Amino acid sequence: MFKREWKRNAKSLMIWSIVLGGLVFLTLSIFPQFAEQQKEVTKLLQSLPPAMIKAFGMDQLSIGDLTGYYGVRIYMMTTLLGSVYAAMLAANIVAKEENDKTIEFLLAKPVTRGEILTNKWLVVVVNILILNAVSLLVSFIGFQMAKEYDVSFKAIYLLTLATVFLHFTFASIAFFLSTMMRKTRNASSFALGLVFVTYFMNMMSSISEDLSFLKYVSPFKYVDAAPIIYDLQIDPLYTSLMIVIIISSIVAAYVVYQKKDIVT
Amino acid sequence: MGIVDVKQLTKMYKNNRGIEHVTFSIEEGEIFGFIGPNGAGKSTTIRTLLNFIYPTGGSATIFGKDIVKDAKEIRRHVGYLPSEVHYYDDMKVIDLLTYSASFYKVSDRRLKQLAERLDLDIYKKIEDLSFGNRKKVGIVQALLHEPKLLILDEPTGGLDPLMQHTFFELILEERKKGVTIFFSSHILYEVQKLCDRVAIIKEGKLIQVETIEHLTKNHLKHVTVVFEEGQYTSFDLAGVVKKEMNGNEMTMLYKGDMNELIALLHSLRIKDVSISEPSLEDVFMHYYEKRGMNDV
Repeated sequence: MFKREWKRNAKSLMIWSIVLGGLVFLTLSIFPQFAEQQKEVTKLLQSLPPAMIKAFGMDQLSIGDLTGYYGVRIYMMTTLLGSVYAAMLAANIVAKEENDKTIEFLLAKPVTRGEILTNKWLVVVVNILILNAVSLLVSFIGFQMAKEYDVSFKAIYLLTLATVFLHFTFASIAFFLSTMMRKTRNASSFALGLVFVTYFMNMMSSISEDLSFLKYVSPFKYVDAAPIIYDLQIDPLYTSLMIVIIISSIVAAYVVYQKKDIVT
Repeated sequence: MGIVDVKQLTKMYKNNRGIEHVTFSIEEGEIFGFIGPNGAGKSTTIRTLLNFIYPTGGSATIFGKDIVKDAKEIRRHVGYLPSEVHYYDDMKVIDLLTYSASFYKVSDRRLKQLAERLDLDIYKKIEDLSFGNRKKVGIVQALLHEPKLLILDEPTGGLDPLMQHTFFELILEERKKGVTIFFSSHILYEVQKLCDRVAIIKEGKLIQVETIEHLTKNHLKHVTVVFEEGQYTSFDLAGVVKKEMNGNEMTMLYKGDMNELIALLHSLRIKDVSISEPSLEDVFMHYYEKRGMNDV
């Protein structure tokens, strides 16, 4: 079953890996030019509205430094795009069986519902890990092109780890949704909506003090790049929060699915 | 104890009726028909037995094992053919069958044999298959692991007559091997042809379990006659059960002597005539009217 799920999702993993990897590579490859023109860039940045700078976290990270550049530009892509991928994948993986009515096939086989979920979740986990491995690998290749600039590898590893946590957080919530819903359309729109809304909340919480309470509801805030780069650690509170979300979503998914009436 | 034992099985949905207090038992090696009009609860019963949905009351066992607790164990020896076959469109037939086989111990030879019998091209993509061909994949898939119990939900829908014949042959061969078959249908003649006993379900309730001979011993026929102008006669034959006139067209249920009917028809000028199998409803209705059970 794992093999089958793996195959079914391999194509989309490949496409996402190529797109994300390509974007990371392109973005990194323009860094040397970018750094050279840093003076103008700084001027340009100053001309931007301060709210926008805050929204992208550029007030705390120096975009002219390779680690900072990674933290602002690459990190935005890996967290946001990766979360979209993770949420879509997990939202579809269970609901698709019911949507396409193929669950009748699977449930007539000698497997328990728990086993079905376990296999599907494992595929999600492996796919997310692979996507992140690809982005990390491409980043290293990118860094090779900017050899003369220093980069903190520890920060990069931590950022990648944080991204993986973030992806698992969204994936687990989407996975739970996937077991509840009967239509992939519903499951994936909910999951996508969640990613974008929380992303937006994170931006809002950085801009305005009044909205700073929003930071607790946005997983994107949990993995904010600036504190990770400066403190060289992921806030343990946020880490535990994510672990709690992941575990409770997965447990809820098993409970819901175990009891669900599957009517196709 | 039967292969399938259903006791007071009930499934109530929030908004609509499911099944209520269904009780029956299927013996080893028999072909057991399950008939009733569409929406009577046939699929609900089958889905509950397979634990796709949970019963809200009562219980059932298959091979003496509980359908909820031991679902996985039971499925190892059950072959299921859904009424509508839906498979992964991105797969080829052979991929799907191999995937299906991977859950059991199945010989390659059996797969090839079954596909050949049903004249199924296993190298085609599933999305390119017609409804009937998908059904064939379903049949192969249900028989593949040589189950001890076959659960077939409206199995012949979409199959052409030739294939239906092959399918019935396959079913009878399985029965010879001792396989028990549970077969739902709303078409009487299928059930008549194959089954030893039938359970009749209507509006979620099991009405009766009968042997086939008992149910159809009247040889009820559905007769339609279109008269030529002015040729109407009252058709006072012994054995006319229910008669309706509509212009020049008369429909009736007839259970009397065929020769008498033909002789009478012969004496009249008629435009058209058809004599066919009665609908299931007609049979039921007549069956119960006769037994004074109009209330069911």
